[in-house]
Order: sequence, then C-alpha cells, then structure tokens
Amino acid sequence: MIQTASVSALLQVALPNAARPAVVAVGILYFAVVLGISVWAARRTRTARDFFVAGKGIGLVALTVASVSVSVSGFAFIGGPGFIYAVGLGAMYIVLPAAVTNVMGAWVLAKRMRLLGEARALITIPDAIGARYRSRAAQGLSAVAILVGIVGYMATNALAMGVVINSIFGVGLGWGIWIGMGVTLAYSASGGILAGIYNDVFQGTLMAVASVLVFLFVLNFGGGLGEISRTILAHEPTFLGPWGKLTPLAALSFFFVFSMGSLGQPQAVHKYYMLRDPLQLKWYPLLKTLGLVLVLLLYFSVGVGVKAFVLSGRLAPLASPDQATPALLLNVTPIILAALVFSGVAAATMSAANSFINIGAAVVTHDLPVAFGRRVTNELRWGRTVTVLIAIAAAITAQRSGTMVAFLGIFGWGLFASTLVPALAVGLNWQGATRAGAMASIATGLIVTLGLETAAYWKAFTFPAGVTASAVAMVSSFLVFFIVSWLTRRTAPTQIDPDVRLVMEI
Amino acid sequence: MTEPPVSVPPASEDATRRAALVALFIGIAAIAAGYATAFSAGKTPAWAAWLLALGIPVALAAIMILGAARGRRGIGPLKIPFAFVALVLVIGFGAALALPATEGPLSTLWLGLPARAAIVIYGVGLLPIVVLPIAYALTFETQTLSAEDVERVRVLARENQAAIENGTREPMDNQRRG
Repeated sequence: MIQTASVSALLQVALPNAARPAVVAVGILYFAVVLGISVWAARRTRTARDFFVAGKGIGLVALTVASVSVSVSGFAFIGGPGFIYAVGLGAMYIVLPAAVTNVMGAWVLAKRMRLLGEARALITIPDAIGARYRSRAAQGLSAVAILVGIVGYMATNALAMGVVINSIFGVGLGWGIWIGMGVTLAYSASGGILAGIYNDVFQGTLMAVASVLVFLFVLNFGGGLGEISRTILAHEPTFLGPWGKLTPLAALSFFFVFSMGSLGQPQAVHKYYMLRDPLQLKWYPLLKTLGLVLVLLLYFSVGVGVKAFVLSGRLAPLASPDQATPALLLNVTPIILAALVFSGVAAATMSAANSFINIGAAVVTHDLPVAFGRRVTNELRWGRTVTVLIAIAAAITAQRSGTMVAFLGIFGWGLFASTLVPALAVGLNWQGATRAGAMASIATGLIVTLGLETAAYWKAFTFPAGVTASAVAMVSSFLVFFIVSWLTRRTAPTQIDPDVRLVMEI
Repeated sequence: MTEPPVSVPPASEDATRRAALVALFIGIAAIAAGYATAFSAGKTPAWAAWLLALGIPVALAAIMILGAARGRRGIGPLKIPFAFVALVLVIGFGAALALPATEGPLSTLWLGLPARAAIVIYGVGLLPIVVLPIAYALTFETQTLSAEDVERVRVLARENQAAIENGTREPMDNQRRG
C-alpha cells in the first residue's frame, strides 16, 4: 500500500551508520534465513506456473503474511514516520485507507481473479485484462503500463536496499546495492514467486514483530499516548489537528489515491491467483488488515513519539525528518530492537523488489509475447533469464544519478492506479465496459501520469496545493473509461467469453 | 475449428449494479470537480475539500457494492455494513472539516488524542476494520463464493479444455481479437 514514497523515504535518507555488532549479527542471521528459504524453494520450482504463481497455490496464512509484506515498503519504517514528524497527522491519510482497502479488494477483485485463474489458468494481471475484453491489444497495453511502473520501482528499491545494507554493514552504497540485489536475485531467479512468498512470510513476520515492539517501547518511554499528545499540544497544536500541517485537500487526496489506487497495485492483486483454495478467501481480508495494522504501528508511534521526545528535549533535534526512526533506534531503544528494525527495513525493500522482479519477468516473457500472438517456448527458463536481466538493470540504474532514480520512482503507485483500476477493477464487475473503454483508460493513465509527473519534475508546471499527478491521472482515467465505454456500448456483449461472463456473474 | 465469436445478448445490469455504477461515476465526478476548482485562478475554495470528503466515501462504497452485488440478490445484508462505513467516512471527514480547531494544551483527549484527531484516527482508521472484514467473512458463502460456485467454474473450465483437446475449439488466446 505504501510503496509509493519509498523514493523520498529511502533515497533522500542518508541513514546513519548502524554497524554495531548486534545489528550486524542480526543482519547476517536475517540474510542466512533468506538464503535458506531460497534453496528450499528452488528445489520445488519446476514449471513456469510454479515460478510465476507458485504452482498449486499457497495456504491462507502464508499468503496473507506475504501480501502484507509486499504491501509495505521501507517507507513504513523510515520515510513514513519522518513524514508524520514533518507534517503531523496529515501523513496518516496515506495509511488510514488500510481499514478498507483489503476488504474492498476482496469484494472487487479477489474472487473474480481467483476464479479466472481457475477457469483459464491465468498467471498475470494483463492476462486477466486480455481475457476480460477478448483483446491481445488490451493485454499488451496493460503489460506496457506495468513494465513502465516497474522500471521506476525496481531502481528505487535497488537504491533503497543499498542505503539500508550500507547502514547495517557499513560496506558503502555501491556494494550495498549489489549485495541487496544479489541476494534478492538469488532467490527470485532460483525459486521464483515460491521463494518470494516464503521469504515474504519470514520478512513480514519480522516487520510485524519489530513494529509492535517499537510501538510498545515508544508508548512506555513517552508515558502513554495521552502524555505524548500533551507534550505536542503544548508546543505545536496544529501537529495533532486532523490534517496536521497539510491542507484538507492534500490529505484527502492521499486518502483517495491510496484507497482506490490499491485496486491497481499488481504486487498485491497478483497474489489473488495464488491462494490454494478459493474458499479460503473468506478470512483473507480480516487477516491481512490485522497484519497491516500491526506493521503500521511503528509508522504512527515513531512519527508522533519522536516529535514529542524532541519537543520535550529528551531527544536532540533531528537533522531532517527522515532521521526520526534512526534517531530513536540508535539513541533511545535497546540495540537489539534497532537491529530488528534495520533488518525489517531490509526485508521490506527486498520483499518489494522480489515481487516486482517476478511481475516484470512475467510481463516480458508472457504478456508481451501473447499480445503479439506468440508464446515463449520455455517460459520457466526465460523467466529466470529475464529476472536476472531486470535485477542487473535495476542495480545499474540505481548506481546512477539519484535525481533520475528519484524521478523514476515517483510515479509507480499512481501509474499502476490510473492504468489498471478502471480497466481491471471496474471492468471485471461491469459487463457494459468495453475494450475501447479499457484501452482508452489505460492509455489516458499512462499519458497523464507520465506527462504531468515529467512536467512537474522538470518544473515546467506547478500543481495547485493539495493536487497530485496520481490523483488527476486516476480521475481522468476513470472518466475516460466510463465515457468511451458508454459511447461504444453496442460492442460490449460480444467482448465477453462465456467462462469470463460466468466468473463475472458469480 | 474455431467457434464463432460469442454473441450473448447483453445481460441487463441488475438494479443494484446499475445504481452502484451511477454512484461511482458521481463520486469520481465530484472528486474531479474538487480538483478542477483547485486549478482555477485564485485561492482554492473551501468547498473543494467537501467535494472530496463526500465523493471519496461515495466512490469507495459504490465500488464495493459493485463488487459484492450478485444478480437479483443485490447485496443483501451487506447494505448495513456498506452504509455504516460510508457514513463513518462522511462523518469523519465532515467533522474534521466542520469542527473548529480547538487543539491546545488543555484539550480533552479521547483515547490519547484531541477530539478531531481521534474522530479521524479511530473513526476513519479503525471502525471500518471492526465492521467490513467481519461482514465479508460472515456473508461469504451466501454473498461472495460458495463451493457450488467454484464447481460451476471448474466444470466449465473442464468442458473448455476438453473441447480444445478434441480440436472442436481453439484455445482462448487464439480467439482474441483487437
């Protein structure tokens, strides 16, 4: 859910050197477990289906924890608390949608995606779009949109891994990038999504444990939430206003983009294919929501807690808001807790990178060939090859200009949201949606997102306060989808196969 | 041999889905209008935020109803949790916009937060968790997916597969157009 700002979260953060013996030891232990899981998974990956959607499926609990893990990037641990520290409770509008997004995804997408997997053995999101609209072109266009988003995410995640690993082991940013990407690549290429899922389970558990412990520590150290609030209210009352220091429009924009936009995030939606038994979806939203709440406790408590500690003089003023978490961990909490959180941040970035590598490989080896009416003969072999190429390309890009990498990472969430939500989420629930509407909507999302982000980034254009390119692109994409589908509504009935229609009617 | 393109008559969208689509469109249009005012010359009017505060809950509730509706059965008992959550979001955002900013050292705290913040954090951020996932689980078999539903899909999939293997139809990939 909060992958988006991993750029500002971890690119602009010069994390302090945390290379204490306990931190290094926990870091080494963490990497050892990741490699162990990878070896186990590699032995069980024999087909392209194993590689891309974990073969015969994953159990409920494992899939839920894995899904929580890929939904949260290092932003939840570093950039998010820093954002709260800077703007107050307005930053909470990024995570508040978690209360509805999981169950909304379950109602809107989970059942239909999972049943499409059952009916057609689909393995990707563009597969679902292609099947829904009987259209290779729609499949290809959505695949291109996903690929563009992944380019940005991969580069930023590679850089984020470098920053974290450098902080834990003190090896330098360049080596940090290659070590992080190398380990991620090892399990992505060998064990595919199976290794990814079980590493996500481990990583998600680690993140949840670290988050809960930090939350309890902050409350205890601050004398409870009431005492923390009193301290802040005495110095900066607007911090605890309902919008913090943001405008209401800006805060509500966050809520809109991160709630509705969640329906278009491939790293989360892709997981619906993988549940072993479709009937297990019953408890999926509840478990995932509870998991997310646990992982996000750190986001809230550190942001608010550190603000109070600095205002009361218990913690030195921060050099920048992004130092909120590192400052707390390295100056206040027991070192073992710091070690857990730093490993948790590494886990979050690696988990996200693995998921995007896998989805990117599927786009290149499966969706784009299908869009051109072809099939790759050995999808497993090519999947592994492309996985390696994507990882190397991401690592090389991450070594280049931080400014360019930051730009690439800015639009990921918004691009996925604006290109996929109408065509996929509405399209799978509305038989009147048309191929032309879907393609126009995907194209609109791509053009508006890239155009506005580019113009804003190069300062050719300034958004009014509270308006973001992601929000404008998603709204435009929705409106185009409705209008073009309505204009071409006569074609709708011929564009749904009987099995897809059954899935849409159930 | 390839079967001709499917030409099933348009299934008339049931009333619930039609209403949800209209509500979704209205919600998105309200949000678009809110952004459009921000682009207008001068200061963004205060009611622009109200358009989002109303449009977002409407759009979210509408898309959930669209996903949960099942033919003539509509959304059945789910209308209560959906209405509740839409109301919670409208009240939460509305209270944050409408109530005066009185936060200060002497503010009364609700579960550790000043009133307006507590309404947003506990109301918007936590109340839906208590209601929606539970409602989803409790109505799952009747409203979302039953073993019979899954079996229907599997039967159709087996029939399609058999037809492909017998050569009486091409794989779906090969039939796609456009």
